[in-house]
Parts: sequence; C-alpha cells; structure tokens
Amino acid sequence: MNAGAHRAKADAIEQSLARCTTADYETVIEACMLAGTHWFNVALHATELLPVDHDAMHAEFLTVGQRRRIACVLPAALAALDAIESLRTPYVRGDLPGGARAAERALDSLAELKRAAMHASAR
Amino acid sequence: MKIASHLDKFRRLDATLRRLDPGNDQELWIWSAMNAGVHLLNAALHASGATTESDSFHSQVEGVYAVPDRKTGTLHDAMHAPGDVMHVGQPPLGAALPATLERASIALRTIEDLRERFVRGSERADASLQREWRNAYAACVRELLAFLDSSERER
Repeated sequence: MNAGAHRAKADAIEQSLARCTTADYETVIEACMLAGTHWFNVALHATELLPVDHDAMHAEFLTVGQRRRIACVLPAALAALDAIESLRTPYVRGDLPGGARAAERALDSLAELKRAAMHASAR
Repeated sequence: MKIASHLDKFRRLDATLRRLDPGNDQELWIWSAMNAGVHLLNAALHASGATTESDSFHSQVEGVYAVPDRKTGTLHDAMHAPGDVMHVGQPPLGAALPATLERASIALRTIEDLRERFVRGSERADASLQREWRNAYAACVRELLAFLDSSERER
C-alpha cells in the first residue's frame, strides 16, 4: 500500500478513535495499534526500509534482520509500535487492572508514530 | 480468562460498538465487533466445556498464553491446552462444538474475514455490505447469549 493510502487509513481510524475515551481502553488500544501500524508503514516506505508492496503487519512479527535495520533508522517508531502491541494481551485480551492508563500510553505511542511518519516523509 | 471477565469485556466492547458506525467507522467497527465476539465466544466455549477457563490471556502467538502474577501485575509466557482462543479456530479445538456455537463461529468468522480487505486494505463497504456485517454480528451475539443463558439455567 502506498504512503497516501496508509495516511488515509490512519486518518480514518483516528477519526473513529475520537469517538472513544480512555474509559473505552480496549478499543483505544486497538485503534492505536491499527492507526499506528499505518503510520509505521508510511515511515518504513519513506525511508525505503520496506517497499510499498510489502507492508509490516505487526512489529512483533518482523524478522530479526528487519528489526535491526529499522532500529538503526526509526528507533522511536519501532519502540512506540512495540509499546502499543505489548498492551494488547494484558488489557484487550486480558483483564489486568489499569486499562485507562494503558490507553493513555497507547495514545502517546500513536503520537510518536505519527511524528516519525511525518518526519520521514519530509526528508 | 475467566467467564465473568470475558462477559465484562464483551459488554464494554459492545457498548463502545454502539457508538460506532460500520460506514463512517468501518475499520474500528469491524475490529471492535470481532473483539467483542471473540470474548463472548470464549465465555461460551468455557461454559460448554470445549475449553477451560483459566487465569491466562491469549498472546499474539497461537497457543502461547500470558499468565499474570496478580500480586505483582507481571506476566510470564506459558503453553497449555485452550484456554482462550485468539480467533475462531485459533488454536483449533479437537472436539465438535454444539450446533449453536458452530453457527456463532461461522457468523464471527464472517467478521474476522473482513480484516484484510476492509481494515488493512482500502476497500469501502456499501450500505448493503454494512447491513450484512451488522446482521452477522447480531447473529453471533444472539446465538452465544442464548447458549450462555441455557448453560446458566442448567447449572
């Protein structure tokens, strides 16, 4: 998927996210994962770490080699997507207490991913 | 996870879903319907005896569970028999399911199968498709709640 299409998807998901509050923490975390992954792909394509016909789906499932290359060029974006994905098991699939705070962390990480995508696109 | 926790998650996600529209909020509607359905399916699978309710959460890797230490809030990975399913058929279950749960699973899979085209991909749904999605979600919820209700009465 090209960068314009990723941006459009991320924007659409963020508009839906605006209908939620951190009290809806499962949905907020998932929306951050979905929109954040689109921003991650914008950055990956802009930096030519991945071609437009090869999108990353989950940071967790990137190869070791891909993760090492991305960590050199986009360390904050990789850390941010890892952070969002790490919240899914305990707070979306699981029932650990503190979901609203987890949703706030997911929103912070989404903002970091968006910054990385904008910065990479502007280079 | 425990049945009560799955039901609590389902109610929360279902309430959020009511504020979303499958047209304007296509991606998040599909994703939230899927998550709500999976939690309700897990509750019903546990109630049927097809899977076991346990204090562990399914991870992103099929068959790997995160087990919480409730005192410290930390998690450790473990592999054990299901347990929660991540999606319909993941992990596969050995035994045949009651007909109600089979019908619910088919309806839920309809929602799950929308991810590639309509969440990760760029396709947009027309009003007819959106109606089909709402109907699939409603059918899934109706079947599972009916099963859980009858299970509760038999206890």
